Amino acid sequence: MSDNRTLLTDMAAGLFADLAGKPFDVAWQQVAEAGFSTLLVPEDAGGFGGDWGDVLAVLRLAGLNALGAPLAEPVIAHYLLAKAGIAAPEGLISIAAPGQRVPYGRHAAAVVHVEGGTLSLYHADACTFDEALSPAGEPWDAVSFTGTAAATAACDVDLLALGAFARVAQASGALEAAFTLAIDHVNTRVQFGRALAKFQAVQQAMAEFSEEAAAVDASAAACAEALDYGHASFEIAAAKLRMGIAVDRAVPIAHRMHGAIGFTIEYALNHLTRRLMGWRSEFGGDAFWAEQLGRRVAGLGGHGLWREMAARTDRLVG
Amino acid sequence: MQIFPLHPFLPEGDIPALRQQVRDLVAKHEASWPVELRANCWFSFDETFSKALGEAGLLGMTWPKQYGGHERTMLERYVVLEELLAAGAPAGLHWIADRQTGPLLLRYGTEAQREKYLPGMARGEIYACIGLSEPGSGSDLASVRTSAKKTNEGWRINGQKVWTSGAHKSHAALTLLRTEEGSERHTGLSQMMIDLDTPGITIRPIIDMTGTHHFNEIWFEDVLLPHDALVGLEGNGWKQVVAELALERSGPERYLSSHMLLVALIDAVGPEPDAPTAQLIGRLTAEMWTLRQMSMSTIAKLAAGEDPVVEAAIVKDLGNAYEQALPRMVQAAVDADLAGKSDLSRLLTWVLVASPSFSLRGGTPEVLRGIIAKGLGLR
Repeated sequence: MSDNRTLLTDMAAGLFADLAGKPFDVAWQQVAEAGFSTLLVPEDAGGFGGDWGDVLAVLRLAGLNALGAPLAEPVIAHYLLAKAGIAAPEGLISIAAPGQRVPYGRHAAAVVHVEGGTLSLYHADACTFDEALSPAGEPWDAVSFTGTAAATAACDVDLLALGAFARVAQASGALEAAFTLAIDHVNTRVQFGRALAKFQAVQQAMAEFSEEAAAVDASAAACAEALDYGHASFEIAAAKLRMGIAVDRAVPIAHRMHGAIGFTIEYALNHLTRRLMGWRSEFGGDAFWAEQLGRRVAGLGGHGLWREMAARTDRLVG
Repeated sequence: MQIFPLHPFLPEGDIPALRQQVRDLVAKHEASWPVELRANCWFSFDETFSKALGEAGLLGMTWPKQYGGHERTMLERYVVLEELLAAGAPAGLHWIADRQTGPLLLRYGTEAQREKYLPGMARGEIYACIGLSEPGSGSDLASVRTSAKKTNEGWRINGQKVWTSGAHKSHAALTLLRTEEGSERHTGLSQMMIDLDTPGITIRPIIDMTGTHHFNEIWFEDVLLPHDALVGLEGNGWKQVVAELALERSGPERYLSSHMLLVALIDAVGPEPDAPTAQLIGRLTAEMWTLRQMSMSTIAKLAAGEDPVVEAAIVKDLGNAYEQALPRMVQAAVDADLAGKSDLSRLLTWVLVASPSFSLRGGTPEVLRGIIAKGLGLR
């Protein structure tokens, strides 16, 4: 864990809470000024010098507050550029993983693309965006690279996997926030003469909800540990898939607990659940990661699966 | 409130070597294990293997050396358990003694009780069972009626226990008894260590729906126990049982007891499965991997002296749900011959029929979710 984690999370928690519900231009300006983009850039290169545990902590808070600005994307982009020794341009840098839309692409000054072992940095004037919106109403733009790259470098990082990790981290926060809203609601909403929380059926559903939030929390943290170790492809595939399962199970419960109130645009729940539903598909959906992980496991063989899993945690003990 | 902050699992010692020790031991004994037995680890019995584990220093691992233990850490013991379960090794004989009876005697037992039972348990030679449930007392344990009356010659026991796993293979039963006549609910209960060869005890089998005998009824008819059969304090039984059940929390058995079915599926489809089968394997792996992270985190919290009640209940409930879904998902996806002779067919058939028991042992989903809801401030 980086020494500055508490400082970092205190700052992020305060800022993101202030920015809740704020539009992109306001939110992004403040996120950028706070310097979060260089979270993973080493201190001697002018960055924060954080680790993936720090990234998880900050992205979790972004998800928890339904932050309406990109954060994972510039963090990953700056990380990859610093690793490649390419100077980062000013402004928002987003990411283009193979076959994926570019979050907030239309607002980006530049886009980092990684495919076939090569990182390419495209300035905005080399990109053409087909603009669209995510289920949560965030810019989700398809990109064509119509100009030449400003810089290229060899890169062995799986950008899709890093994006997937980011969504797991954000989902862990969003699930907690949705759970907290549901707890508050069932504890205060009185029907049939008592608080909803007094009904066993409600308690059982809320317990199930908590289990799904717990599963995403644990898997996100395990991914961050593996990323800090240096290899996390197995963990991220499993965690992104588990996050999809959790969204599948938990989002309906969150809405069931709230009744019609939770379905309105002004109530906070939809900002969380619409994001969760979108993130489930972003950077590889359930089927993609299930097949990728399943093929990998099939290659390991029956007992090989256990041996691989055990070795992957034993290496952390070292 | 973060529901499940991950606690780092950082055991001391050479963990890969410890895993290898267990794997070597399994390799030496596995030829004699029928495949069905390997998906039922904590209810299947192999005396030779239990003794071999004892000889290898892998039972009573955390206990003091003076009682035959090995003074290793809880996390090292956890590593051994997960290796045994993942390999489908029969662990039923020593399971209860190693997991809870031994630790409970260490905490509450008299010096004489420790000396009498613990070294044999650590050698894999003395086995124990738990006398809790009664015909009128299942999930609601505080309603037990089996009585122990103090007399000049000792305790007189009368009554009946039921669903006692492994009683017919055990030497002693740690039994919850009503020692105060007329007491109600949680008061007036005490625990006693009862040698099962004591006159007046009758053990009768209950055959379960897989056709297997592991449940039993135990009848006590005017059984006379010495005064020093009492474990801990008279009247403190409920508190001790609660502490004992905490030792069940979040072991790897909550998600690994049928792991051999997943192993068989992976081996049956080979290194290049079609897309739907690959996706099924991926999905089961993702759930299992997540459960492992959660289980390791919970045991690490316990080892650090915390009492993660909610986390443990979450791991149990999710683990039970995963283990029950596993055979159903495999059956739905694979065109299996349930009367076939392949490992996959035999394991699938066995686990399908055994799976209703997964949500009985250690709490039904409804009970576990009640515990979670209470922990989250919902009742």
